[in-house]
Amino acid sequence: MKKTNQLKRTLFLVLSFCFVLSISAQEKTISGTVTSQEDGQSLPGVNVIVKGTTNGASTDFDGNYSINVNGDGVTLVFSYVGYVSQEVAVGNSSTINVSLVEDLAALEEVVVVGYGARRKSDLTGSVSAVKTEELTAFPVLDAEQALQGRAAGVNVQSNNGGEPGAPISISIRGNTSINASSAPLIVVDGFVGATMPQPGDIQSLQVLKDASATAIYGSRGSNGVILVTTKKGRSGKLNIEINSTYAIQNTANSLDLLNANDFADYQNQIRANQGNTTAFPQGSADIDWQDEIYRSGSTSNNQLSFSGGSEKVNYYASGTYFKQDGILVNSGFERIVFLSNLDAQVTDKLKLGLNLMGSISKKEGVATQSTGENGVGAGGDDVVALAMRFAPDQGIYNDDGTFSINDRIGDPVDNPWAVATQRDDDTETEKFRANFYANYDIIEGLTFKTTFGLSVDNDFRGIYLPRTLQVSAGGVGGRAIMTEDKTKNILSENYLTYNKEIGNGNLTLLAGYSYQKTTNKGFYSEGTGTISDSFSYYGLWTATNLINGGQGDIYVNETEIQSQFGRVNYDWDDKYLFTATVRRDGASNFAANEKYAIFPSAAIGWKLSNEDFLKDHKTISNLKLRASYGVTGNPSISAYQSLAESASIYASNNGSTVAAVTPFRPANPDLKWESSYQTNIGVDLGLLNNKISLSLDYYNIDTKDLIMIDRGLPWYLGFLDDEILKNVGEINNKGFEISLNTRNITNDNFSWTTDLVFSKNKSKVENLINDDDYFQNGAPSYFSVGNNVILREGEEVGQFFGFDYAGVYQGGALPAGTATISGGVAGDPLFLDLDDSGDITNDDRTIIGNPNPDFTWGITNSFRYKNFDANIFFQGSQGGDIFNMTEVQLNNGDANTTYGYYNNAWTPTNTDTNQPRVGNNSFREVSSRFVEDGSYIRLKNIAIGYNFPSEAIEKLGIEGLRLSVSAQNLLTITNYSGLDPEVNYFGSAGNNNTARNTVRGFDFGNYPTVQSVNFSLNVKF
Amino acid sequence: MNAHKILLLLIGLSIMGCSDLEEEPVGLLSPDGFFSTPEDIQIGVNASLTHAINEEVWGRKLSVALMLRSDMVNLNSTQTRRVEMNMHTITGDNEMVFDPWTRIYLGIAAANNAIAGAEQVDAADDIKNPIAAQAYFARAFYYFHLVRLFGDVPYIDTPVSDIAAATNLSNTPEAEIYEKIISDLEYAEQWLPNTVATRATPSKAAAKSYLALVYLTRAGTNGTADFQMAYDKAKEVITNKGTYDVDLDPDFQTLFNANKIDASKEPIFALDYNNNEAPDNAYDQIAPMTGIRGDDDGGNGGWSVATPTIAVFNSFDPDDYRTRVSFQTEALINDTTVDYTDFQSSGHEHAVNAPYIAKYLRFPGPFARGNKRATSHNYSMIRYAEVLLIAAEAGVEIGAADALDFLNEVRGRARNGGESTNGGYVPETIAPNAVPADLASITVADVLEERRIELAFECKRWYDIKRRQLGDQVFSASGYEGAKPDWNASVDYDTPIPQDEIDRNPNLSN
Repeated sequence: MKKTNQLKRTLFLVLSFCFVLSISAQEKTISGTVTSQEDGQSLPGVNVIVKGTTNGASTDFDGNYSINVNGDGVTLVFSYVGYVSQEVAVGNSSTINVSLVEDLAALEEVVVVGYGARRKSDLTGSVSAVKTEELTAFPVLDAEQALQGRAAGVNVQSNNGGEPGAPISISIRGNTSINASSAPLIVVDGFVGATMPQPGDIQSLQVLKDASATAIYGSRGSNGVILVTTKKGRSGKLNIEINSTYAIQNTANSLDLLNANDFADYQNQIRANQGNTTAFPQGSADIDWQDEIYRSGSTSNNQLSFSGGSEKVNYYASGTYFKQDGILVNSGFERIVFLSNLDAQVTDKLKLGLNLMGSISKKEGVATQSTGENGVGAGGDDVVALAMRFAPDQGIYNDDGTFSINDRIGDPVDNPWAVATQRDDDTETEKFRANFYANYDIIEGLTFKTTFGLSVDNDFRGIYLPRTLQVSAGGVGGRAIMTEDKTKNILSENYLTYNKEIGNGNLTLLAGYSYQKTTNKGFYSEGTGTISDSFSYYGLWTATNLINGGQGDIYVNETEIQSQFGRVNYDWDDKYLFTATVRRDGASNFAANEKYAIFPSAAIGWKLSNEDFLKDHKTISNLKLRASYGVTGNPSISAYQSLAESASIYASNNGSTVAAVTPFRPANPDLKWESSYQTNIGVDLGLLNNKISLSLDYYNIDTKDLIMIDRGLPWYLGFLDDEILKNVGEINNKGFEISLNTRNITNDNFSWTTDLVFSKNKSKVENLINDDDYFQNGAPSYFSVGNNVILREGEEVGQFFGFDYAGVYQGGALPAGTATISGGVAGDPLFLDLDDSGDITNDDRTIIGNPNPDFTWGITNSFRYKNFDANIFFQGSQGGDIFNMTEVQLNNGDANTTYGYYNNAWTPTNTDTNQPRVGNNSFREVSSRFVEDGSYIRLKNIAIGYNFPSEAIEKLGIEGLRLSVSAQNLLTITNYSGLDPEVNYFGSAGNNNTARNTVRGFDFGNYPTVQSVNFSLNVKF
Repeated sequence: MNAHKILLLLIGLSIMGCSDLEEEPVGLLSPDGFFSTPEDIQIGVNASLTHAINEEVWGRKLSVALMLRSDMVNLNSTQTRRVEMNMHTITGDNEMVFDPWTRIYLGIAAANNAIAGAEQVDAADDIKNPIAAQAYFARAFYYFHLVRLFGDVPYIDTPVSDIAAATNLSNTPEAEIYEKIISDLEYAEQWLPNTVATRATPSKAAAKSYLALVYLTRAGTNGTADFQMAYDKAKEVITNKGTYDVDLDPDFQTLFNANKIDASKEPIFALDYNNNEAPDNAYDQIAPMTGIRGDDDGGNGGWSVATPTIAVFNSFDPDDYRTRVSFQTEALINDTTVDYTDFQSSGHEHAVNAPYIAKYLRFPGPFARGNKRATSHNYSMIRYAEVLLIAAEAGVEIGAADALDFLNEVRGRARNGGESTNGGYVPETIAPNAVPADLASITVADVLEERRIELAFECKRWYDIKRRQLGDQVFSASGYEGAKPDWNASVDYDTPIPQDEIDRNPNLSN
């Protein structure tokens, strides 16, 4: 009777995701102590779980635990990160002491995967785990930043050098798209599409890379997934921890620019070369503008956390305050973040929990990375580029107290000091996330989990250019801009997990349903002619000329996605592993005929080292082969993009403006997401009792159905917009990854470990619309030299496109195959005349460089000697080219220049040089002259720390005290002549998806990367 | 059940609600469901009509192209696209072909949208059909330009939803397009009201007048049945001019005075121009294109691009009031009033010593940009005098006795004189005089000559040359612009379809 009931109930539960069952139990209490076998020290925070249930406890600071169990027949599982899990049958004992063995390869470590967790040794997919100490090795604003060089296949780039609050771009295994985002999906504590928590709040971070691991996230999986679990409290006493860091920051280097006298001479040489005999009117000042705009910056980060718990309830809460004064005057960032996690074992079957995260931040921006757009033009909006080009013979102020402007050479521009100090650019962000979960053990092996969460993300940005910026805003009476963007997210996920041993194997089944709704709305408003500069951007309402950005500047986008997903894991005899996943996504933003998408994957693993022939092998302690294949998607269709759209246009009748609506764009009912087909083959090898562990992965990702803009709609269809999106593009990423961890020396007093990651990726363009080349612009628009980034079928993504420089023309007959730009004379640049026309024209442009590195790597060496530890982290990139757009500007004559060019430029008496004469006939040429090798090796971090011995601090009531000092970016080895080989300029289009995917290796106007020295204090009570 | 079970049950059930995943865009102007009231149809009509005022159509590109292709307007510019128009060497890459092509089709698509939208509007036929009829009129207006310019073109009369099919369309033969134009105008004729608040709104008279012009055009040189229908339709307007509130304006100058034109009965259908520098170049630039370079008037005068030859000026009777209204013979240059023999005193390379077209530059009304750009001059697309001349021409063809009367009525109005100027900017009242005298009998050639004088520079002449196949005659050495060496009657009457469009749909051909 009871059994029948239970079956019925189970059925009901499965169908309705609710349950009506409660089981009473004969309870008894087990207690004991857990220690480390190696040194006998007690282990705090060890998880103690009744096998097959989620009933668990953890050890307190002294390694003691106590747990209630149902009768004698149960087994306790003791697990702890870095140690081999141990199972102990309870029997009739009430005290169980356990000593755990250190797991050198961390194979028993439980790794979080989508909607579940697996033993690391049972993984069939490609998953990189990043250690928490690597995330907190040096202070970073975002945990993303800390991933650079730490995980194979993961590429991390600041979108603007060392700018406080600069967004970070991550790509996993190359960019899989051209026009859509290539950013990975971030899942925090099960919340899909979350923002990264503070590094100090992270318990574990996994990067899911192959389709076997990511296909469970379906249409959002093709860029990889970063799974983050935040810290939770443990039963036992209250733990309080303070982390405090302070860093002093400076620019890494500066350009060697001409002083005022040499500048005047340079300008006079230019004038002479151009036939102008009027002397350059030299000003009375002599300054290096770089000295004016840079200062010593600082970063401080203070985190206070407390955690603990009773037997049934545990908690973790932290608050973090981050503040940075940037090295560019007037730039800064500050942020407060709170995070708390609460978990309650309500009954022995039901566990409830709540994760909360809230943050507010404010960024004070200074204009950098000029696009040349937005009505300012001529580079007057970029402090960094201005500081390099602005005339050094002019002071900050004119005699009448107004700011000087550059009006004797080139286009007039405001001076960099004025732009840095006068322009307001504030970004305020508020984020909040709450995620509730309930976990219920229905019957043995069958668990139901439901989560319900919400998040909000508000961004406000205000920009004001006052009249004091004569060039940028003087003529228009001040320019004010305000934007507001707000995103709401609601997410509900519900899934059943079933675990059962079948024969020699272990079966795990997962089935779930998910619903997520995202609403994004905002506006952009701009006006000129404010009443007074004193209102800053809040004076927008007084603007006499309101610039209505029109269609698209006021928006509301709502997207719903509902999904079913499932997974089967079957492990046979701890030797053969099989995983299959499938997810079916239906999304509102998918076009009418393509509302649903199915993403399957399958993987196999073979633990050779568990086979008899290797089981007791002396050298090989672990050997596993993995292979996977699967399909994942990139939603890549923004809300409403597949719908027909009309436009509101000007019309009048009888002298009055009247409403008028005309067709803008047709419906596109067949538009699809982009799909990646990924194969992954991997080997995990452990040698010498796992003192050496190595993972190798090879992958091949074919991304098809890339959404491309086809400007091919006939005009007679009568749409204002002749563009239609088509799923035609194709990109291939192939790569190879190595992760190597070695424990070189391990003994009581001294240990030395090395972690190496190596990533090699080739992104090749396979197919473009109509097989036509696809161009982007890596220069600011006022350079008037577009199309310098090319995507061409069969080539790598983002090649530089321009003239092929062939040295300086010495006069007389042109060397064979070369020519000058029309009218060239001795001293002018020579280029390859590819079309043999006798003149250099746009038809002579060709591929002149490849920004994609051959490989990137990172190596960390960690040392511990008694209570001291040290850490040295190098990171590098090999083989990528950089296009030095800064040098293009500084060679153009309408700017200051470097001594490197001034001293070496061709003159009739200095003909043995590779640098053309000053004031030559080339206008901001994009040529191979400015392509340089961007390879570098960088000492990213070096740190020394000291842990005070517990005896010394116990009497202070302190349990742990650690001091450390570290330095970042101390040393960079590179042949690149510019400021920093880690360049990230996005060209005239600015920082958008397409530019991030395709415009690489351009150096212009970036906020410089900083060198910093950092002091850290860690106290535990 | 205890509390936590209920809680979980609630969570479990509340979140299971399935969405249909349909997008409901609030902030997006979606065509789906847009049309629900008669006012919405009007919004669609407004969009269709406004494409005509754009710089790409009547604001400059089409209007100036039509002037340059005629035998009355010369070019003072070296821009290739204009030279091709003037010399009849038009290629498929000419912007003055491409821009009107694209913009006219935008107007057609907007009209199609309004017509289809009207089907969805739940209102009585007598409420919504008169509004939809404006869209039928607009569509006919646009296709009539296309068929006269290009001959065979792709024809679309519904909102495009099947992109693939629409992208592969072939040209529809000219004869079929005429049928569609006539059918649209007949619908418009049936439902449009007798009178309208502004002549920029189509009326019954506008539909009938255009029907008359369409029949006359389709008749070519010998289509007797069409001549009969052209005559009939024109006469319906003439006979009912009281009902439709249309008539000749007593003063010919009023028709080219932006400050007076809106009160005149003569325009039957006009375009609505305002002194507004509207987005997307939705404003007039004919005034500066025909204006005098270096003239002090209107903020540095005009651009001297399109000017008549002196032979054209000399072909007009100097005593005909219409000559004074049509030609600018004086200008204010550097504070000095000079006559046309001294227009180059401004020193501008493109200024010419010849009378300029006065119909646009003299009374532009308030304008929003320098050089008299963005005028408020509601240019007539068809006016009562032209209806009289259609009746006269078709009447001669079919042997109607009253044809002569219609022509003489037009000449008679010119004898009124009126409030004009001295040929420059100085106001002058011109007394009635005896020129032009009534004719005693007329031929088709007489009517065409009357059209040339009466409708001079109103962008009608090229279409007259084409429909009457006058090219070999007017572009010969005896023409007003002298011999056009590249004129080739076998190809030059039709405008080539833009090459860019053929690239997009190779099924199109010239």
